Amino acid sequence: MPFREVNARMVEATVVPGQKMFSQRGAMLAYKGDVSFTPNMQGGQGGLASMIGRRVANEATPLMTVEGNGTVMFGHGGHHIQVINLSGDTLYVEADRLLAFDGTLQQGTMFMGSQGGVMGMVRGQVTGQGLFTTTLKGQGAVAVMAHGGVIELPITPGRAVHVDPQAYVAHHGDVRNKLSTALGWRDMVGRGSGEAFQLELSGNGAVYVQASEEKL
Amino acid sequence: MFRLQGSKVLAVDMTGDAVKAKNGSMVAYDGQMAFKKMSGGGEGIRGMVTRRLTGEQMVMMEVRGQGTCYFADRASEINLVNLHGDKLYVESSNLLCTDAGLRTGTTFTGLRGGASGNGLFTTTVEGTGQAAIMSDGSAVVLRVTPQYPLSVDPGAYIAHQGNLQQQFQSGVTFRTFMGEGSGEAFQIRFEGDGLVYVQPSERNTIGGEV
Repeated sequence: MPFREVNARMVEATVVPGQKMFSQRGAMLAYKGDVSFTPNMQGGQGGLASMIGRRVANEATPLMTVEGNGTVMFGHGGHHIQVINLSGDTLYVEADRLLAFDGTLQQGTMFMGSQGGVMGMVRGQVTGQGLFTTTLKGQGAVAVMAHGGVIELPITPGRAVHVDPQAYVAHHGDVRNKLSTALGWRDMVGRGSGEAFQLELSGNGAVYVQASEEKL
Repeated sequence: MFRLQGSKVLAVDMTGDAVKAKNGSMVAYDGQMAFKKMSGGGEGIRGMVTRRLTGEQMVMMEVRGQGTCYFADRASEINLVNLHGDKLYVESSNLLCTDAGLRTGTTFTGLRGGASGNGLFTTTVEGTGQAAIMSDGSAVVLRVTPQYPLSVDPGAYIAHQGNLQQQFQSGVTFRTFMGEGSGEAFQIRFEGDGLVYVQPSERNTIGGEV
């Protein structure tokens, strides 16, 4: 089910019988037809084990299941919405940025600290994001929220992309991420350029960056 | 080379050269980049003293490298300005990025600053090259000619360039003080030959409250 962009802050999805969608709870703006919204205690799908995983990982943004026959409009908090189409690859995104996604996508959590050693552990502290992130895998569409517009930057082997942790939205593909620092003694004594930490993404894929350093 | 990626992200392609940008406004880059904090508001001791006196705190950084660097700030709209030896006057909070070759400084703006709530001093950018300024909503560029002067709401004004004289205009009357103001008590009047950048939004100004 692809999303249709109504405008920069609103998307419309078609719901057909037999196919589910998940969305952030309360993100429905309007709907047509016969559609039901049920709170999803498991915070998505994947059974009890993954539910506990998400609770522990603090990636348990409340979700609801959207089923029925009709069209639903989604939006939240006036945020900009970016639609990302997945064709078998994995999207990494913070749970609170997820607006809605196809029920066919496999949801999971990933421990980000395992990448990049100690600096990977520091990532959570610096970025204000958790050590865990939500993953979505398979064939389908995802609507992700951002503050301001979003640009997509390709990551190719030999051409790593560095992203301000606060401006990072999501990434997909076969990508390694690590926290890199530009810390010198000058930064330590408060003469920093304001760009002391960056997320370095290398490999093969793409990263989505928002036009703002504000969290949602 | 400055180019816009969408309306809210500025992409700068660099080959070993440098740009000056608002502190902390980098959102992403590829290639090799180095970030260095600059003491803004003009070069040298004089600039430093001016900065202290004027409160026109322009905290900027120098970005030098090979590759593409992306800048954005709080989802503001970005406008590109080309300078050919002339001077751009801009509120420091609205300046995102300039070519490193452009000189930046501060200048006294007269009474206007008081009403616009932006201090009595404004930032100037001078030389030949490109600058990127920010606005709340898409900015319009209005041409001023000797025959057609322009009056602007101080809260909507973001920048101007060219050979312009500015004058502070007040429409405050007895009625305004009695609480019957139209909400348009103050304007900046531009006369001469040049361009004025106006945003479709109004900052809170002292003038706006009268």
